[in-house]
Amino acid sequence: MSSKKSGSKLSLQTRRKLQPYFYIAPVMILLLLMFGYPLIKSIIMSFQDYKLSRLDKVSWNNFKNYAAMFSDKNFGLLLKNSLLYVISAVLAQFLLGLGLALTLNGKFKGRGIYQSIVFLPWAFSAFVVGLLFRWSFNGEYGVVNDVLKKLGLIDTGISWLGTPGLSLLVVIFAMIWIGIPFFGINILAALQSVPSDIYEAADMDGCGTIRKFFTLTLPYIKPTIIMTILLRTIWIFNSFDLVVIITEGGPANYSQTLPSYMYTQAFASYDFGLAGAFGVLLMVILTLYALIFLRITKYDKAGDF
Amino acid sequence: MKRKVLSLLLVAAMTATMLTGCGGKDSASDSGSAGDSGNAGTEAPAEGGDLTLTFLDVAPSDTRTTYYESMFQKFYEETGIQVEYQSVPWDDAADKLTVLGAANNLPDVMTTWNGWLGQFTQSGWVIPLDDYIGDTTSDYTDAVVNILFKSEQTRYGHIYTIPDGLMVKGIYVRKDWCEEAGIKLDPTKPWTYDDYFELIEKLTDPEKGRYGASYRGARGALDPLWVYLQGYTGGATFNQEGQILMNNEECLEAFVKWTDIYKNGGAPQDAINWGFTEMVDNFAGGLTGTLINDSEVAATLINSMEDSQWMVMPMPTSEKDGIIYNTINAPYAYSISGNSQNPDASWKLIEFLTSAENQAEYCQLTGEIPIKNEASGLDYYGEDGYYGVFLQQMNDPTLAVPTSFGTFDFTDLHQGLFHEEIQSYLLGDESAADALGNICTALQERMDEYMAENPDAGIETALTMN
Repeated sequence: MSSKKSGSKLSLQTRRKLQPYFYIAPVMILLLLMFGYPLIKSIIMSFQDYKLSRLDKVSWNNFKNYAAMFSDKNFGLLLKNSLLYVISAVLAQFLLGLGLALTLNGKFKGRGIYQSIVFLPWAFSAFVVGLLFRWSFNGEYGVVNDVLKKLGLIDTGISWLGTPGLSLLVVIFAMIWIGIPFFGINILAALQSVPSDIYEAADMDGCGTIRKFFTLTLPYIKPTIIMTILLRTIWIFNSFDLVVIITEGGPANYSQTLPSYMYTQAFASYDFGLAGAFGVLLMVILTLYALIFLRITKYDKAGDF
Repeated sequence: MKRKVLSLLLVAAMTATMLTGCGGKDSASDSGSAGDSGNAGTEAPAEGGDLTLTFLDVAPSDTRTTYYESMFQKFYEETGIQVEYQSVPWDDAADKLTVLGAANNLPDVMTTWNGWLGQFTQSGWVIPLDDYIGDTTSDYTDAVVNILFKSEQTRYGHIYTIPDGLMVKGIYVRKDWCEEAGIKLDPTKPWTYDDYFELIEKLTDPEKGRYGASYRGARGALDPLWVYLQGYTGGATFNQEGQILMNNEECLEAFVKWTDIYKNGGAPQDAINWGFTEMVDNFAGGLTGTLINDSEVAATLINSMEDSQWMVMPMPTSEKDGIIYNTINAPYAYSISGNSQNPDASWKLIEFLTSAENQAEYCQLTGEIPIKNEASGLDYYGEDGYYGVFLQQMNDPTLAVPTSFGTFDFTDLHQGLFHEEIQSYLLGDESAADALGNICTALQERMDEYMAENPDAGIETALTMN
């Protein structure tokens, strides 16, 4: 009856069922346009000879781009660098962020000011941070070499950006520095939501600080830790800005990671086909990582007490 | 029902607005709408009606932007054609132009580096200017006609660019360091590469924080090295059969000698990552004693160093044939894009910018050499002027301009493989023979492909002023 009144042919029940889809439709349409299309397009391009400078000669080449990617002489180095970059940066960010959050969770004089300062790196753009590290680690004028010399730790300046291994280390340092606040903020927010009465009960039972941390605090903040690690891993794995700004992947690709190499292929050689193949590989790696990570950390059960 | 239809229409309109707003074409427009920062002024147009041209500068700086804005104002007053000034930083310029070209969205007039022309002409992103130039070639200096125009005609069959000015390379040297070390250099006399290497060695003193050379290790590392190698091949990269000339013992020995500048400590270790900026900064900042670069650097050094601190030496002569192989190019030459709807008006703008008077003003600001006979006689470019050595080389009968890496598109190799192979050798990851061999192989493959596609294409040879 009501449907007739409103002039609609759909029943009230059907309309109610459809209602949520209408609400999310604008976002879904935007996502499809902004993410879905580029995603599908890049998958298609990964099977094509697609050079931006020769768009008149775009053609299907089956798995040629994938073959070129896996046979690239730098592929092993890229994979190794990417893993080293992600694992060391996420691990260090997590441990330092956790320490920061635990410190800031206590009360001390000047906490507000200290909190504002330590969270500052997160507000800087990667470009600024990149330049900061690039100059700080300059082999001739950099402040790092200067400090090390004054401390008597080195006699001659280290060529941080010109030495294989060290150049990637500088990028990792920069990434750790920029990402600590993200962990700090999230873990601090989780810590502040832990009810204080459980600590009082633990105190009455004579529970020590370390045991309280592992048996009470950590389980409570576990969902936050899992989600933060998952997100940061994906972001760091995908990020190439610091590599490009600090070292440009050099010397001789020694600080190149998979995404930065993909960027180089796309915008130095304009080979969007090969870059697309790298993009698909990144997507597959990250999807597998997310599934495995959520499974082994039992995220769906985290926080259940 | 009406409301539903109306809502749908509004949604469609909004979506369309968003999409078109994102990708709006900002090329030549006849709308007459005001442009952005560089838009010409508000005085009444002389004859051009509502026409607005777009102009893209690939090397913006305060000086250049101010110059172009004032020129476009003058141009508007004379012709009534407005010019919208756009710019992109040099480091991103190749990417930006490639993306714009692929999207058929190039501006009417753009400044272009000659290294991009292989890609641009193949893709139809620039149009030939031969008909526009017509019989006015006598207005241009010999270097423009016999080197630049001739080189484009040989490589691409047509003239595609009008130089903004001329750049010649020279070796900037710390005069004060030489005096301290008792080294006497005479820029009016020829010297060899071996003399140059010896100078680097003498000026190097790590204890004092001094290195002999601003060595280029990053992108562009092969450019000066290739010119040195061309001293052994008569200035060519390929022979007339299209076979590369650098894969021999003589060139390998020269390759090793050149890279020894870095390997033997004539440059700081960080120099493996140095590009243009680091090279110039470290010369001006007192870390390095010599710097191979274009005349444009003189404009920077005039402002940042004392006259008593630096001097310019001509490029060394080849040990093999005694010829000075030196590039003469127009760093940011003017071209009309294939997307321009107003090529005639675009040519009018280029003619205006390269008129003797306007061009002389430009060259004094940017450190380039004028392209018109009328302007090149100015005192500023005289023997005792800052640019004396550069002009001296251009008038030297023993100067020859070597060929490029090839007539094909080598942008991607220049952005990656070339310097990566050299870096791998410098780091000890591969032998000099492998590094040079890989570079030669990549170029040979590119040449074979190009010749298969263009069987009638000519092979470049070194050019002389005669």
